[in-house]
Amino acid sequence: MNVAVVKGKRVAVGVGSRLTRSQIAFLWSMVMPVIVLFIIIRVIPVLVVLLMSFTNYNMNRPLVRFLPYQNFLRLFGDPNFMTAFVNSTEFVLVAVPVEILLGLAFAIYLHRKVRFESVYETLYFLPYIVPMVPAAIIWKWIYAPGTYGLANYLLDQMGLPRVGWMSTPQISLLAVIGIHVWKQLGFFVIVFLVGLKNIPASFREAAVVDGATLWQVTRNVDLPLLKPVILFGVVMATIWAWSAFTEVYIISQGTDISTGAEIQVMVTRIYAEGFLYFNMGYASAISFVLFIVSLMLVAVQFRLFRVESA
Amino acid sequence: MIGYPSAKRIWARVGLHLFLGLSSFLMVAPFIWVFFTSFKRSNEIVTETPQLLPAVWTLENYLKLPKVAPFVRFFLNSIVVSGVSTFCIALGSAACGYVFAKYRFRGRDFLFFLVISTILIPLQTYIVPLYLLTWKLGWINSYQGLIFPLIIMSSGIFFLRQNIMGIPDELIDAARVDGASEWRVFLSIILPLSLSPIAAISIVNWVYTWSLFIWPLIVANSTEMFTMELGLMYFQREYAVDYGGIMAACMITLLPVLVVFLAFRTRIIEGVAFTGMKH
Repeated sequence: MNVAVVKGKRVAVGVGSRLTRSQIAFLWSMVMPVIVLFIIIRVIPVLVVLLMSFTNYNMNRPLVRFLPYQNFLRLFGDPNFMTAFVNSTEFVLVAVPVEILLGLAFAIYLHRKVRFESVYETLYFLPYIVPMVPAAIIWKWIYAPGTYGLANYLLDQMGLPRVGWMSTPQISLLAVIGIHVWKQLGFFVIVFLVGLKNIPASFREAAVVDGATLWQVTRNVDLPLLKPVILFGVVMATIWAWSAFTEVYIISQGTDISTGAEIQVMVTRIYAEGFLYFNMGYASAISFVLFIVSLMLVAVQFRLFRVESA
Repeated sequence: MIGYPSAKRIWARVGLHLFLGLSSFLMVAPFIWVFFTSFKRSNEIVTETPQLLPAVWTLENYLKLPKVAPFVRFFLNSIVVSGVSTFCIALGSAACGYVFAKYRFRGRDFLFFLVISTILIPLQTYIVPLYLLTWKLGWINSYQGLIFPLIIMSSGIFFLRQNIMGIPDELIDAARVDGASEWRVFLSIILPLSLSPIAAISIVNWVYTWSLFIWPLIVANSTEMFTMELGLMYFQREYAVDYGGIMAACMITLLPVLVVFLAFRTRIIEGVAFTGMKH
């Protein structure tokens, strides 16, 4: 039944049937505004950033020149960019495995029919939902030098030497990554827990009937079936770690830190070049690298997961 | 197997709760610490041996905030930005989700791909051209400029589409046979049946826009356009040693999110697990 006759008029019904003119007008008037906004706000800016990365565009300079390779050559000789690139890479290499492994561990434990599950779930999830600015400011205080900060006070209490959280660059970067992990972890716990709950219980029961222990069930039933969800988690974790900004920005400004230059990351570089010095062309070149590298990372991850499961 | 649990199993359970309890406590410990700190008098905040609870409870940290910076204005700005954004996204997601779910037309799959593929590209990537566009429009330092990149949400459209696909076609056809127009179908069948997913998306988006930092940071450059996050950032930079004031301001910034989260916990968890709270 594709056409019904109502009061002498033909009415198209049924999904998949030919649409009438008024239906077509209706559906375009519904989607068009949103599609146009997507093109203006996302598609065009992404294309423009790729084009701009080949120019010397500066908001304070009227003349724009085309630079086929100079911006990208300059990146390699730019110590600030190289620091940022290395730091962002460390961000990904540390944050992603920690988030995924801890997220999996908590999700697997929470899934063992524990009492108060929803309480634990809520507590894990809380940092994720809270805005980053106050969270980073709180941590900045915990990391504060001398006896001001809680972190060093606790080390004192345990009889351990104090740590220059905010004065030793290597440690500062790890401290910032720690904030990032603490903040994002709840997301991965929830996503993996939802994934585990979607695995039919009969799979596990069958394994238990065959004499599998709890750990064998986890390793041989849960984890292989969770693989697509883990891939999703790895991709999200990578993109977020690679484009981290707020926590680094908050930690690296203010009075009690001298390591702003040493802990900078890709996006703080884009911010500095683009919005402090107005070198929009050069900032776009950094954005270009940010974009291409994250695409490559995601592609590699899809590859790895497919090979593994084949 | 059935009967009294063995001692070994009881200990395994105790160990499990110890592990989960301790780790989840560590996750929220910073907030507990800040909550109590914000009610301490300034001479109690930095001491040789920190105490968790204030000896004397005081509201002075909160009461002085509006005097040192226009925090009321910041708060209202944040409400305006996140409110308008959420309203637009609720409407746009429902409209697009419905069309993508229930109509077949030329170009649909391409448009849907266009909408979804931008999920993986963070705002930071194209923030330079977005800023230039805002500048060309003359919207720097205005509400329009603060809000307009936040009125679309790929995952919102996706989420609504998945939910609306579950509404039976027969329901829609029956209304059409009864003479309802397409608008009527959308307004009196699709919208009422999608209120729950629309609520989930709206809450998630509200939290996201309330927390957003990098866009206000570059677009708002005068105090009266600051959002709460921005005002808080400048405040902690200017009054770096006033921990009591800073922690009170942090509490005010995160309290609305906390209240909304505890009130709509399951909705938020469902929405976030699906969308990742990204646009």
